[in-house]
Amino acid sequence: MRIEFILNGEAVAVEAPPDITLLDLLRDYLNLTGTKEGCAVGECGACAVIKDGRLVNSCMVLAPQAEGCEIVTIEGVHAADGGPNDLQQHFIEYGAVQCGICIPGMIMAGEALLRQNPHPTRAEIRLALAGNLCRCTGYQQIVDAIEATAKGRRAQP
Amino acid sequence: MSHITQQPLTYVGKPARRVDALDKVTGRAKYIADYRVPGMLHARCLRSTVPHARIVRLDVTPALKVPGVHAAITSEDFVDHGLYGFPIKDKYMLAYQKVRYVGEPIAAVVADTPQAAQAGVQAIVCELELLPALFDARRALDPDAPQVGPDRADGQHPNLKGDHMIVCKGDAEAELAACPIVLDREYFTDWQEHAYIEPEGVLAIPTPEGGVVVYAPNQSPFINQGNLAMVLGLPKSLVRVIQPTVGGSFGGKDDIIYESSAQVAKLALLTGRPVRMVFSREESMVASYKRDAMHMRIRLGADRDGTLRACWFRGIIDSGAYASETPFTAWRASIHAMGCYRYQACDVDVHCVYTNNGYAGAFRGFGNPEVCFAVEQTVDELADLLGIDPIDLRLKNCLRLGDETVHGQKLTESVGLIECLTTARRISDWDRKRAEYGRQTSTEKRRGIGVAVMYHGMSLGAEGADSAGATISILPDYSVEITSGLTDYGTGSRTVFTLIAAEELGVRPERIHMQRPDTNTAIDSGPTVASRTTVVGGNAMRLAARNLRQTLDMAAANLLQCDPRQLIRDGEAYIGPDEEAVAWEKVVDHARRLGLILSAHGHWSAPKIAWDHHHGRGTPYMAYVYGAQIAEVEVDLRTGNVQVLHIWAVHDIGKVVFPQGAYGQLYGGIAQGLGYALTEQITYREGYLQQTNFESYLIPTSVDVPEITGVFVESAYSHGPYGAKNIAEPALVPTAPAIANAIAHATGRRVRELPINLERVLLGRDLQPPASTQPARAAFHIPVRSTPQTAPVART
Repeated sequence: MRIEFILNGEAVAVEAPPDITLLDLLRDYLNLTGTKEGCAVGECGACAVIKDGRLVNSCMVLAPQAEGCEIVTIEGVHAADGGPNDLQQHFIEYGAVQCGICIPGMIMAGEALLRQNPHPTRAEIRLALAGNLCRCTGYQQIVDAIEATAKGRRAQP
Repeated sequence: MSHITQQPLTYVGKPARRVDALDKVTGRAKYIADYRVPGMLHARCLRSTVPHARIVRLDVTPALKVPGVHAAITSEDFVDHGLYGFPIKDKYMLAYQKVRYVGEPIAAVVADTPQAAQAGVQAIVCELELLPALFDARRALDPDAPQVGPDRADGQHPNLKGDHMIVCKGDAEAELAACPIVLDREYFTDWQEHAYIEPEGVLAIPTPEGGVVVYAPNQSPFINQGNLAMVLGLPKSLVRVIQPTVGGSFGGKDDIIYESSAQVAKLALLTGRPVRMVFSREESMVASYKRDAMHMRIRLGADRDGTLRACWFRGIIDSGAYASETPFTAWRASIHAMGCYRYQACDVDVHCVYTNNGYAGAFRGFGNPEVCFAVEQTVDELADLLGIDPIDLRLKNCLRLGDETVHGQKLTESVGLIECLTTARRISDWDRKRAEYGRQTSTEKRRGIGVAVMYHGMSLGAEGADSAGATISILPDYSVEITSGLTDYGTGSRTVFTLIAAEELGVRPERIHMQRPDTNTAIDSGPTVASRTTVVGGNAMRLAARNLRQTLDMAAANLLQCDPRQLIRDGEAYIGPDEEAVAWEKVVDHARRLGLILSAHGHWSAPKIAWDHHHGRGTPYMAYVYGAQIAEVEVDLRTGNVQVLHIWAVHDIGKVVFPQGAYGQLYGGIAQGLGYALTEQITYREGYLQQTNFESYLIPTSVDVPEITGVFVESAYSHGPYGAKNIAEPALVPTAPAIANAIAHATGRRVRELPINLERVLLGRDLQPPASTQPARAAFHIPVRSTPQTAPVART
């Protein structure tokens, strides 16, 4: 079937079977492999994307459910010049990255949080990340990076 | 190469950015599942559905009739049926004659799509004749136990894996008999899944010359290459292993990846097409090796003033159906079993056994988290019994500079344990909290604070030859390329190597590029295990860069017409006696004009050490890292829920090379230790794993892991680069016992089994009946002594 939606700010139309997930649609039909599969049962958050402003696990969304939606993936997160945005820069600066497989999902979770809550406490940041598993970092530097980004964005006019 | 640099350091120990972070935060980093190679086929495995059986019929030809299937293989397709393994060669790349655990691969099918490959797998005819299975490690050496392990020619029980690992000082029985206080305790640590977020996968591409290139997210590509050459019957020159970006490993992506590598490599050679296999999470959990489970009995003898005198320790390791690295795990466990304390006498005996419960292999900590859980709780129990503060008791007994360990090793340098412990005490406000929480009367929630200390032998120790090589070269665009045979699977070692090369060569880290580990370009440096990369690989990189630096210094001296000793550096530039700065690029150009080769390599071998396995004495490791962790918890007495409120972790890791990375290792190790302590439960019920995805295997989330205060004590080690030691594994080791001790402090009740789940905290027992009703004690034989006054004798 034909599925039409807004992907990272651009309209896309893709022919795909109706019984695949949004994760497979992104990875196998649109070749956007920044979104990862870690568990395929909605537990790990490695496949997290932003759908109409909300963080979702794309392995739990059927591809046709993207119809008419606005989807943002890690490939759609960047600064105006195409380089890393402030959140991504802070992930680098604060050492929030180790093996990196969870990081696209973590960035999406961080972006989704900061859109909804520009003033998160550390506890609120931790709660917002609770659906994203990381086995390397112990989360602390990820929380640091999101906290620093929130602070930086508040300082912007 | 043994002095510690006195000069101020420019890059080492300074804030730095991880070299591969940009690709990872943008989603550009390519993991195996992200590769899209033209013509690529997909492979799947047929896996055993029973824990122990004889393969009576195996016919893959029906699979070949399935649309889309290109080839199918069994053990018959490998040299010597694909037998491999180190230190015990007991596993096959695909099962041969028998299967010994649920999930063991039996055959592999390759097809146009993963779905077609799966259909092919389902078409395979495989008849299994069930064999009696063994699930209780404590019964493995019974005369009538079902045989799981291979036949042994030495008369030992076939279910014994390798040998007993012993440590022996004096006569522990006599010393215990003379102690006024003796504690006798049993502990059990459960299996643990690595739970790397990237499941296993391998891609193999056949080459025109009849060889194969394998992209494998393993830790140790040279071992994979050796195995592949062996089972495929190819010269090593036709087998190239490249490590792509690895999505976590923690010890877990060696043997299982070697196996998948052999399968896809064979299928690629048969079909002439690229072949990839990617596991689902369920396949990963069921098929992959885990941290072993360990039954332990420990007897600690002390004086009434808290002076430790004797330690007697017995450990039985359930490492499942195959050996993998576990004989080495048993050795490391034996060396650390008594903890980082002084004793008059010590008697340790640890052994591994075969069972049909999956299989165990390397996992961060490698035997030490298991034994640390036992000894650090027993020491706390002793402190409680004697009414001595647990930190005071540890300070009284723990290893200090100049001490001799129970193994007979004199500690001549870099022993920062006391500072770790006293710092942790201070920053955690231990004394106030310990007293205050001791007075709680609430029946709803209570807090507790607990401590654990540890030491951890650096690198491989007497396990094997311990050396590494590195290369460095200047490219035509003046960038610098480095390689190491030791790999980065998320640990940060590429950044460590980059900083070391920058420091020695006197160039900015941005100029340096580290290639992906590749058996074609790097120098075989042994396995990337045992937290050895910074020290062993870092020293090799330091030497390589120094060798290249010498070449450039000679060119600069020639260009500036002075003696090399007159040269000074200003940033990258060289300055001679006339004080005019010459750009680094000009020096490089001049070196080329002189015909000098602008590449170098370095090779470093660890100091020679020796361990006497027969007598359980010697020098097991070149040196040790030390650490103290304090955990503060809140226990809900109504539900058994434990919330860890904070962890203070102070570790002596020598000079810190890449601080941001070192803290990341510390926090991450603690998070894994927290999961090990509280939530990560692996249950083999009659050999069937009960937790096959993250909805039932619970690794800590961001709300389970508390804020962590980490401090590094930099007690320099003269053989480490810039005085560095290591951190990766040790971070995890003391976390579980620190939490367990905090829970005991809060509740007054001690849980001696992992994980410390709700029912164990609330009820003090399991809701599910144990697999065996036999008391563990019967498996731990205590020798009957005629007279306690017998003179100490060495074991033979």
